[in-house]
Amino acid sequence: MSNPLKDMEKPDVIFCIGTNMTEAHPVAATRIKKALRNGAKLITADPRRIRLAKMADIYLPLRVGSDTALLLGMAHVIAREGLIDKAFMDARTTGGEAFLEHVKQFTPQWAESICGVPAEKIEQAAVLYGKAEKGAIFYTLGITEHICGVDNVQSLCNLVLMTGNVGREGTGINPMRGQNNIQGAGDSGAIPNNYVGFQPVEDPANQAKFAEAYGRTVDLERGITKVTALDLAGDKIQAMLIDGENTVVTDPDRKHCEKALRALEHLVVIDIFRNETTEFADVVLPATSWGETEGHFTNTERRIQRIRAAVPPAGQSKPDWWIINEIARRIGFQGFDFESARDVFNELCELSATYKGINWDIAEKGQHQWPIPYEGHPGTPRLHEEGFKNGRGVFKIINYRDPAEVVSEAFPIWLTTGRRLESYHSRTQTGRAHGIDYLLPEEVLEVHPDDVASWGLTDGGTARMSSSRGHVDIKVQANPRSPRGTVFASFCFNDTPVNILTGGGYDPVTHTAELKVCPVAVTPVSGSS
Amino acid sequence: MSMTDAQILERYAREPAPLLPVLHAFHDRDGYLSEEALRVVADGLRIPIADLFGTVTFYHHFSRKPGGLHGKRVCTGPVCCRKGARELARSLGAETMPCSGRCDDPIPVLEGHTTLIGNTVSDLVHKPSPLPAPNPGGYQECVFAGIREEGRAGLAGYRKGGGYRALEKALAENDPEGLIRTVTESKLAGRGGAGFPTGRKWQAVRDAPGEPKTIICNADEGEPGCFKDRAIMDYDPHALIEGMALAAFATGATRGFIYLRYEYPETNDILAAAIGEAEAAGYLGDHFKLYLRRGAGAYICGEEGSLINSLEGKHPFPRNRPPFPVTHGFEDKPTVVNNVETLVSVPPILRHGAAWYRDLGLGEHAGTKIISLSGDVARPGNYEAPFGLPLHTLLHDWAGGPAVEGGTIQAVTMAGLSGGFLAGDDLNVTLDEPCIRARGSFLGAGGIMVFDSSRDMMAIAAEAMHFFAEESCGKCFPCRIGTQRLTERLTGAAGPRDKTAWLDEVADLGSTMKAVSACGLGIAAPLITESLVRYFPERIEQHCAS
Amino acid sequence: MTKNPTEFSLTLDGKTVNFTPGETLYEVAQRHQKDIPTLCYDPRLESFGGCRLCVVRLEGAKNPVASCTTRAEAGMVVHTSTPDIETHRKTLLEMVLSENRELEVSPLRGYASQELTELSERYQARTGRFEGKQSGESRIDDTNPFILRDYDLCISCYRCVRVCAEEEGDYAISVMNRGFETQITTEFGGLLKDSDCTFCGQCVQTCPTGALADKKAMRYSETPGEIIKTRSICTYCGVGCSVDIMTKGEQIVGLQPAMDGPANEGALCIKGQFAYDFVQHEDRLTTPLVRGDDGELHEATWEEALDKAADGFKRVMRIHGRHAVYGVASGRTPIEGDYMMQRFIRAGFGTNYIDNCSRA
Repeated sequence: MSNPLKDMEKPDVIFCIGTNMTEAHPVAATRIKKALRNGAKLITADPRRIRLAKMADIYLPLRVGSDTALLLGMAHVIAREGLIDKAFMDARTTGGEAFLEHVKQFTPQWAESICGVPAEKIEQAAVLYGKAEKGAIFYTLGITEHICGVDNVQSLCNLVLMTGNVGREGTGINPMRGQNNIQGAGDSGAIPNNYVGFQPVEDPANQAKFAEAYGRTVDLERGITKVTALDLAGDKIQAMLIDGENTVVTDPDRKHCEKALRALEHLVVIDIFRNETTEFADVVLPATSWGETEGHFTNTERRIQRIRAAVPPAGQSKPDWWIINEIARRIGFQGFDFESARDVFNELCELSATYKGINWDIAEKGQHQWPIPYEGHPGTPRLHEEGFKNGRGVFKIINYRDPAEVVSEAFPIWLTTGRRLESYHSRTQTGRAHGIDYLLPEEVLEVHPDDVASWGLTDGGTARMSSSRGHVDIKVQANPRSPRGTVFASFCFNDTPVNILTGGGYDPVTHTAELKVCPVAVTPVSGSS
Repeated sequence: MSMTDAQILERYAREPAPLLPVLHAFHDRDGYLSEEALRVVADGLRIPIADLFGTVTFYHHFSRKPGGLHGKRVCTGPVCCRKGARELARSLGAETMPCSGRCDDPIPVLEGHTTLIGNTVSDLVHKPSPLPAPNPGGYQECVFAGIREEGRAGLAGYRKGGGYRALEKALAENDPEGLIRTVTESKLAGRGGAGFPTGRKWQAVRDAPGEPKTIICNADEGEPGCFKDRAIMDYDPHALIEGMALAAFATGATRGFIYLRYEYPETNDILAAAIGEAEAAGYLGDHFKLYLRRGAGAYICGEEGSLINSLEGKHPFPRNRPPFPVTHGFEDKPTVVNNVETLVSVPPILRHGAAWYRDLGLGEHAGTKIISLSGDVARPGNYEAPFGLPLHTLLHDWAGGPAVEGGTIQAVTMAGLSGGFLAGDDLNVTLDEPCIRARGSFLGAGGIMVFDSSRDMMAIAAEAMHFFAEESCGKCFPCRIGTQRLTERLTGAAGPRDKTAWLDEVADLGSTMKAVSACGLGIAAPLITESLVRYFPERIEQHCAS
Repeated sequence: MTKNPTEFSLTLDGKTVNFTPGETLYEVAQRHQKDIPTLCYDPRLESFGGCRLCVVRLEGAKNPVASCTTRAEAGMVVHTSTPDIETHRKTLLEMVLSENRELEVSPLRGYASQELTELSERYQARTGRFEGKQSGESRIDDTNPFILRDYDLCISCYRCVRVCAEEEGDYAISVMNRGFETQITTEFGGLLKDSDCTFCGQCVQTCPTGALADKKAMRYSETPGEIIKTRSICTYCGVGCSVDIMTKGEQIVGLQPAMDGPANEGALCIKGQFAYDFVQHEDRLTTPLVRGDDGELHEATWEEALDKAADGFKRVMRIHGRHAVYGVASGRTPIEGDYMMQRFIRAGFGTNYIDNCSRA
């Protein structure tokens, strides 16, 4: 997030797109509700009539996968109505003129023809956001899990840049990070293109720096993404070390994923439970769990916070860092002599540009949001206040693209996937918490009540949902949250493995899968009730 | 044709303060408030459904059972109970309701939107409310001066007697500051009981930043034993409208509400007709839009914070003060909240001048006060008395003394029930705040109920406290718990049997309630027990012994 | 421009103190370590003024004023504790106790559950005074596994209703009826699961009597041992809510939100509040597992398992080269695990063949 969580109470216009925040980030959503109590206006764009849609002043029910069309239409209106922040554009951006010229063609009527949102609603939303003194954008995976995920994000950036809604309290472009330490995973360098603290691997200076630190020269070429690695499994990739991820259930195209893991010569999995993925492993190593482990999580607002052990480890389980350190030592790698989480964290901070100013002791109270460039620096709750890291904000020329797969005669219905409040990912954790089943005992397919009738389904009955990759049987729930022609399910329940169906395509830049759009057919399973 | 859900919402959703009229429209259409109706209202007005449900349960008269609207409700106010109201309710198989403001008539029974009166089942008839009798003391009147004129409730009749002349003059002179000055100089003060100087209130609203400003007429005459506002509105509705229009002109307000208690359905129709006439004549309009809002049965809504919350569709708890409504009233904008009698006093004051009004009072005292007199007197009714008039004169000379030949007046209440009782030598007070406050009571809204020596003051006190307990909103601890505990001690349902312990608990409850309650209800309620202990110690002894 | 200091000062128990415009008397007094009792107060919520325990004497005012709703003004002379005030506080507490069924409740019921108990001890408020009807009706029919609705203990402070509206924004619970008949309710008096309740547990944690209580934690009421709280960060989602894990001995018995958590300021959701017990679930992996010749996973010692893991990577590296090894870090482990994973790949194999699960 460019802005801190507490800024969420400050905007006068909030634009939520592709985020079901009240379910996926409920505590962050409480801050939006407070902003609304204080008089802020809410625009929500989402295919489904989620809670944020009901709370919205303007609700934009767009077709799945049509975000760029909507956002181009909004940019068109903002430009046409003269709601751009000229001074900001002149001072801090580049490419604006070409962009303004580019969006002239994308009228709200054109956008309506693609995304299905009435042109007048697009006008209203654009004017509301364009006129905001403090406009803030929030998004989650509904924006990124598309083949055009990068285009979607860039389109939002364009809106921000043309209106100057960044670098101030209550503004910004704010992705809500999903998992508890997904921000930290990227920060730590567990990505193919950057060392710890987003230092590009392709920069020879960085290569030299880390060669000295690690006693080993690392390739200058960036690595491959996990998606590519799985594609190459059994071929160029023969061994994997997977920590704490139930890849089989959470990744798209489950069959492909299972095949990939099976093809590996050597698979080591570290986890706290046996799950669908450990069943493919040669070695399974038990990690200590949250509640048993010392360390840090970095949250969505870039705040580094200490986690502490409250109880002894289960059985013989060990911290993740210890396990990996031991494997490295036994392979014979040099420099793996870490004795504590403190040692690991302190090296991380020392080598990171963004965590430079802290260490285990300084991080104790969770006061710091990175970047913290030097010791004594208070941290940076709000990014881009003085300027953009790379100079000027760059407008990108974006065009609308169809999803990888679109509805057809064989698969006439849009499936979109997502989260539910009561469960977390593949339910390895929430599924084992007493009481959760009271609220969420099984997965259901949310189908608009009129579609339930016209497709010959029954509320509470079973349907077979199929895509070109396979099928699942799933219980039908008549639910007006789903628009007509679009159905929704989560991938939380292993016995309803919805990700068998998904995986039609990936964003070419990030390799993020198009989990939000999947054409399917839905037919009643006879004899069900 | 009854309105559809959508039509009801369409009709009111764009007006300010839409919740009460929308709920009434569904209540009237369906005969009760169904779950479906409430869900439609919650969606339409964007009110959380749990809040709406809770708020609806707060009001006495919203029925959640099919047909509930049409069930009979019998007034069981202190005076009506003495007339056999409970027996009547039993005979009718009817529900009861707190004092419904018709104490100068036989027992009122509400049936849908009709008020019947009668002391027995066979007597019940629909009749207009009593017109105030000519002033028995021959004093010059302000509020009632024109009320007995033929056709006064209509626009033509009102104008014939000089009505709207003050408003026309004010608009012509265009000197709102001067108008407020006149009101200030007249020493007119809030006649709902609080007694805040009207001119100062208007000036504060005029000076306060924030638009639009609002005039609210508090016509939620819920105090037991008070029925003066009903008489004014039934017979002189245009006087109220003119008073409000003058307040609007003086303060710069552009919208107004009359918040009328539920139990005056006929008054509701009279006001609606008068507002229509005044709009047609141009006295009301875009410059000052007046809305009639009907309460739904909650005594606390006569408290101005609760009233504003009720209008806004919120749970009708009183508000914390400060800030006061003059700066943060309806929708947090500057707001005048005035009682009916206060507003109606303004047109005559402007016509005759501040000095004229001041001089209506006796001695040091300025102006007049309507007293709603009821109970065991020969001639109950509304009397406009000059401030400073001896209570004895009112009771004996004006109202004919005890109702029963040879009876003696044992006690009277003050301020309806809120002032507790006066008895013994304290019946020699004059009708003005300094004198009555010196006796530990207050004149308030001017309701006086009379009880002769045949009445059991313990029972009356218990009923009174029960009323306060039922009407306590539940927001603050001392009132919510205290009114309940005092009721239990007065009825004997719970509490010590030992007199010393009984007195000790009652005194401690009362002292804390008076000191720290959040609004007037909890502060006033212990005056009942205090005055009972003061005047009727032997009755308490007997109570504890039994 | 600096303001004259007297413009923003008042007299508090005989001492001149400064205040910030907008501060309430209660807040000023808190800053000066005045221990004013309250029951309806939660610093996160709008001042309500219901319990009246926080009344103070304000010179010039006829009655004591509620310090939580009275804004500080220059020149005020305030007394936070006078014999009269203390008497009223004690009477109020005795009134509250008279409507309640029991005083001693388990601290596992909720974060604020001991407030009434502690105040009644502090004031030596007598139970048995003002006896009479009890208020509130418990909802034993609400069998949800998370929130006990023991309204016999409810004192109508409305903190639950207000926290649900103001902090959580769910507006799931409200106030029904009035006066002594007041009852906390949901829409149409139904069950929590049929309402807008999201089971975030905020109502439980703000309840000052334990009337609303954490049913899951209460399972350990009888477990011996002192409750120890360990500060940590919630393991669900990227918001990073601060929590206190409660333990008795080696048993996690519950979890409470940290009111001073920077990301959540006391808020939590159903997962953070109630879904912690996977940690000590019987399904946990407790020993390393190694796939045997029979194709099944078998328990092994750390030595065996680590050697087998290391040997496999060595073998693959030898046969297929260092680019044949790939590391997948987790978005759920602590950052120390992630850092080690990328260090393993980079410092070990010299490649950038590392990723995490953020693309799923």
